[in-house]
Amino acid sequence: MAEDLLQAENICVGYGRGDIVHGVDVSVSAGRIATIIGPNGAGKSTMIKAIAGVLMRREGSIRIDGQEIGGKPASEIARCGVAYVPQEANVFRQLTVTENLQMGSWIEPEEFDGRYEKVCALFPILKERGKVRAGNLSGGQRQMVAFGMALMVEPKVLLLDEPSAGLSPAMVEQMFDIIKQVNKTGIAVLMVEQNAMQALKISDHGYVMAAGQVAMSAPASELLDSSEVSELYLGTRQ
Amino acid sequence: MSGQLIINGIVNASLIAPPAIAFSLLFGILRFPNFAIGAYVTVGAFIAYALNVGAGMPLWVAGLGAMAGTAVVVWLSDVLVFKPMRGHTPVTLLVVSIALALIIEHVIRLFYGADVRGFDLPLERPIKFAGMRITGEQIDIIIMTIVIGIAIHLLLQYTRIGKAMRATADNEVLAEVRGINTSYVIAFTWLVCGALFGLTGVFAGLDLVIEPLVGWYLTIPIFAAAILGGIGSPYGAMLGSLLVGLAEELTVLVLPSSYKIGVGFVIIAVLLLIRPHGLLGQPEIKK
Repeated sequence: MAEDLLQAENICVGYGRGDIVHGVDVSVSAGRIATIIGPNGAGKSTMIKAIAGVLMRREGSIRIDGQEIGGKPASEIARCGVAYVPQEANVFRQLTVTENLQMGSWIEPEEFDGRYEKVCALFPILKERGKVRAGNLSGGQRQMVAFGMALMVEPKVLLLDEPSAGLSPAMVEQMFDIIKQVNKTGIAVLMVEQNAMQALKISDHGYVMAAGQVAMSAPASELLDSSEVSELYLGTRQ
Repeated sequence: MSGQLIINGIVNASLIAPPAIAFSLLFGILRFPNFAIGAYVTVGAFIAYALNVGAGMPLWVAGLGAMAGTAVVVWLSDVLVFKPMRGHTPVTLLVVSIALALIIEHVIRLFYGADVRGFDLPLERPIKFAGMRITGEQIDIIIMTIVIGIAIHLLLQYTRIGKAMRATADNEVLAEVRGINTSYVIAFTWLVCGALFGLTGVFAGLDLVIEPLVGWYLTIPIFAAAILGGIGSPYGAMLGSLLVGLAEELTVLVLPSSYKIGVGFVIIAVLLLIRPHGLLGQPEIKK
């Protein structure tokens, strides 16, 4: 079997002493979306931080296109085509919107102009408010800056930690639409979402994490149909 | 009379502006007030003295040497002292920086004693106009500080490393995630700030005297300027320096000059009460 674009195996990671994630496998292939759902404290964000290199995994292998990135610092993982959007503190507040987008193309500054037009076509507000400091924007607009900055990387793999957090219901819809659009260009998307139902609807695959382990791994449609999952995590009864 | 005080105030401001900018840049990245800045300035003054008087170099060469030498000393203070301590609370680091300042001061005392020294310079008459006096050296200090302010502005706004410095100060984790090698950026920041402290040492040697405590006397006005402007904001530090510099000199109109040194303290105290984020700083938003 051909290896997936992002392949993480047997990841053990935590903060300081003690692991929060115990031997988790996750993989996403190009042009696909995988979502990790699960209760608070299950280790979802921790897992995604380990892939991004923000937290150093204690054990396990993480490969992008077959190349091992586990153990590398975050700045080198970024150079392997990974764009991670943290849930909080995901923009440079003191920098203007345009400067934030410039930081997105930091690795390839010569690509800025072309990518800038593409990202602003998705989020016209980023052009309108280009000279405003990101810290002075509303929460929803900040989320667009964060997402736009990640797209400026033109990554192979997009790691999203709660992309819909703090957005109004209409904007959540819009955000998921854009994730879907971006994904169609061939980017592998791995996201963590509280908004499990909507996230699974646009996903190809879903992982249910509980207590630092993968409790269930199945195509997203199956998870949506499973009565156990919907009762426990989706808040619906059938 | 007050015209002379304004000139003195501007010279004073020019003396504290470069280190206040440097202090602000360092605070932006390290998130603790580094009390060793005064000692760094003293190092600069003594390197310049050693090169100028000891080795007989012209002062401008000695000044460049002081900037380079102090930059290395300041960078080493990070590598040897602050880097291993990173992650500790700001109060711990503050105490460590005071200890470092005392150590540096006493190492200098070990070699040079407590004597008051000066650069080897030809005596020049001050320039007089409309009853006011200013020396050629003071004019140099003012011009160089203006040049430094503009250079730092251009560095931060328009260069790649400058943008990386601002991004790292703003959000180090995110900077790293976007591919910036933040440890390189932090080392660069220390070196730039070290050069500014070294230059201040040369200025202090020109306008004040060279002795092991010369930087220590400047510490409070530097802190006051940085806090007044908004700590972490280099532009605020420039504005803060001008105001503190003038305030220190103009209080002579109403108070005996021996109270001058207290002005910085009063500014810090009042500011922390009414506007803790300073004039140009951004208030911390807590959710």
